[in-house]
Amino acid sequence: MKMDQEQVKKIVLSVLLLVALLYGYFAYLLGPLQQSERIATGGIASMGPQIAAAKGQIAKTATLEAQAPDAIAFLTNLKNTIPDGAPIAWFPPKMSDFFKAHGIDKCTTHLVSEGADEMPGFKKLTWAIDVPRVEFVPLGKAISALENGEPLLTILNVSIDATREDAQYQHATLVITTLVKS
Amino acid sequence: MPLHVNLYHEVQRQERARQRDPLRLGMLGLLVIAIGFVAYYFVVLAGAHQVGVQYSMLQSQFNALDPKAKAAEARQTELNTEIAASDTMIKNVNSRFYWAPVLDQILKTVPRSVQITHVGGETGADPTAPSTLSITGISSAAEPRKEAEALRIALDAKLGSAFKSVTSVFRTLDDSDQIVMLDSRRLATATFTIEIQLVQKDPVAEVAAAPVRTAKR
Repeated sequence: MKMDQEQVKKIVLSVLLLVALLYGYFAYLLGPLQQSERIATGGIASMGPQIAAAKGQIAKTATLEAQAPDAIAFLTNLKNTIPDGAPIAWFPPKMSDFFKAHGIDKCTTHLVSEGADEMPGFKKLTWAIDVPRVEFVPLGKAISALENGEPLLTILNVSIDATREDAQYQHATLVITTLVKS
Repeated sequence: MPLHVNLYHEVQRQERARQRDPLRLGMLGLLVIAIGFVAYYFVVLAGAHQVGVQYSMLQSQFNALDPKAKAAEARQTELNTEIAASDTMIKNVNSRFYWAPVLDQILKTVPRSVQITHVGGETGADPTAPSTLSITGISSAAEPRKEAEALRIALDAKLGSAFKSVTSVFRTLDDSDQIVMLDSRRLATATFTIEIQLVQKDPVAEVAAAPVRTAKR
């Protein structure tokens, strides 16, 4: 069957139209749609682990939050034992009262130095406690009670000297450090 | 036999030619393909929409969770810092040097024949570093040097059970001219100074065994 010129023209035109339609279909309809689908699929794939990680983090923190009060109870309790205010105002009277309670009437406490501590929220104070007249056994008991009753306190230096006046008594000096709130 | 004359053969031929027109056939074919493409487009569109909805849901879920997760992470850091500080404090408290047991051992070890005139103890901030104990006194006996040496050995033995290592040496040990009366006997004397280095048992191991030490004599 032989086509006339008019038909050939129509076929050529139709082919051109077809090519244009195919291009438009793939370039402006199907292509962007598939692209957005790919992006969404990729997003879903990456979002899953992110959501799981976020949920895991929240759960982990909740567990830690539940355990934390026990874990930090020691530190919290210690902090609560430290009186507020300037240590120079409360520490020397506290030591005087402590030694009086252990039968040692006279003692003087003075601040030697003050410095930062490795623990955040604390500073370290060094004190010298002079006990001019004390017997060895009551002093030992007082030191024992001091060490056990004051966890923030460390005795750096102990010096006990026999007095010339009375062999029964000694002169004691303690150099101690204690942590206070900074 | 009747004669049959087809007077429409021209019309029929044209009709057949029209039906076999390749342009028409081609257009029909194109129409079918176009319908297929459109249908396929809608299928893909439906799938993409579904995926998009799912993605949006996850996105909104993540947007809701993300600030909470960031806040949780910050809180976790804060809690970890507090727990580490508490652990450090426990370690520091448990690794302190306790002088009372040392004084107790001195009290129990020194015999009547020895008079202690000075006890000095010094410890540093580092619990692993040795602490120093210095004891000065006067020993009285028939052989006062032996008496002082007996005291040094006894102190070494007593303190050795409580510490990781104990090293004791005489800094001074001198005969004295003084004579003392003890139990109605005249005894020669010697002055001495014993220096003892004390190294604590491993504080870390002790902490692991007993996290909070509340009482120690």
